[in-house]
Amino acid sequence: MIVQDMVDLLQADVVAGAANVDNVIRGGYVSDLLSNVMSQAQSGNVWITMHGHQNIVAVASLLGLSAVIIAGRIQPDKEVMIKADAESIPLIITTLSAFEVVGLLYSKGIKGV
Amino acid sequence: MKRPFVADLHVHSVLSPCAEVDMTPRNIVRHAVQHGIDIVAITDHNACDNVPAALLAAKGTNVIILPGMEVETKEEVHMIVLFETMRQLEEWEQFVNGHLSGRLNDEKHFGAQFVVDAQDELIRIKPEMLLTALNSSITEIGRVVNELGGLCIASHVDRPANSLLTLLGFIPPDVELAAVEVSRLMSPKQALQRFPAIGTLPIVTSSDAHRIDDFLSGPKMIFYLEQPTLPEIQQALQGRNSRKMLNQ
Repeated sequence: MIVQDMVDLLQADVVAGAANVDNVIRGGYVSDLLSNVMSQAQSGNVWITMHGHQNIVAVASLLGLSAVIIAGRIQPDKEVMIKADAESIPLIITTLSAFEVVGLLYSKGIKGV
Repeated sequence: MKRPFVADLHVHSVLSPCAEVDMTPRNIVRHAVQHGIDIVAITDHNACDNVPAALLAAKGTNVIILPGMEVETKEEVHMIVLFETMRQLEEWEQFVNGHLSGRLNDEKHFGAQFVVDAQDELIRIKPEMLLTALNSSITEIGRVVNELGGLCIASHVDRPANSLLTLLGFIPPDVELAAVEVSRLMSPKQALQRFPAIGTLPIVTSSDAHRIDDFLSGPKMIFYLEQPTLPEIQQALQGRNSRKMLNQ
């Protein structure tokens, strides 16, 4: 699955990094503790979080994540989108809860690390 | 002439729902006098209604009260904010009140939030829920506090809960911090080894006391200052102007 397929599945919005929606998704990770994400998530993962803080882009870039989904109607700060564009990280927002996002992705074969 | 001042930059009063009832401003000041704690910052969660009572209780003693607060940012990071004057803190309080969640405290689950006077008399019970995030980012909070002349210290960065380093992984480059605080669970040296992200920021230790026993036994700072003022403490944190600090 590529990021665009996932966006279609979730009927979500790409708010930054749209040039990289053909990134391939290899597994997923959910956490709102960035220290934990840095130690656990794997390159190619999609990461689901409730954080809208700009540090999420740095973490995603550091780990080589395929995309970041900000769940639960959280609106990211403006700097986050600017950073995500600069770092070529697809940033996706959705009204779905993190639970719903994970359920949908899992049902389509995206598994945990 | 510079001399050492023992300082505790993180103390909760009975206004914090999680604090014990022995943490009245008068009792905190009385114990500070008895145990040679020269500087005490009163830092309740998202509120500062008991700072005036602490300032009044400290009148005529050698104890200096620093007006402060422990705020919870939108990202759920806890930060100590300190000011030199009550007037500055009141301006900060207006910002905080404009960013509260709008929810009410549930005493049964979180504890009561007592506003008291300098004689331990109950003035009122604060109804707003204080133990929750403000609707303002860590960056915005840091900016506004610094604009008002205050300083920010990231609370207990070594702990799993409400810690800047746990929640955000590393210190965001646009957050103006005067220092980070490590909890009583760890020495500054251990903290720096475990959390290299602290980098070159000064590390302070404080009691984060919610009861008198913890206030007395918890870690403190020793600042070498001419006068016990916030600007001099800031210089001591940075080792400037021959002001110094030691973790006690």
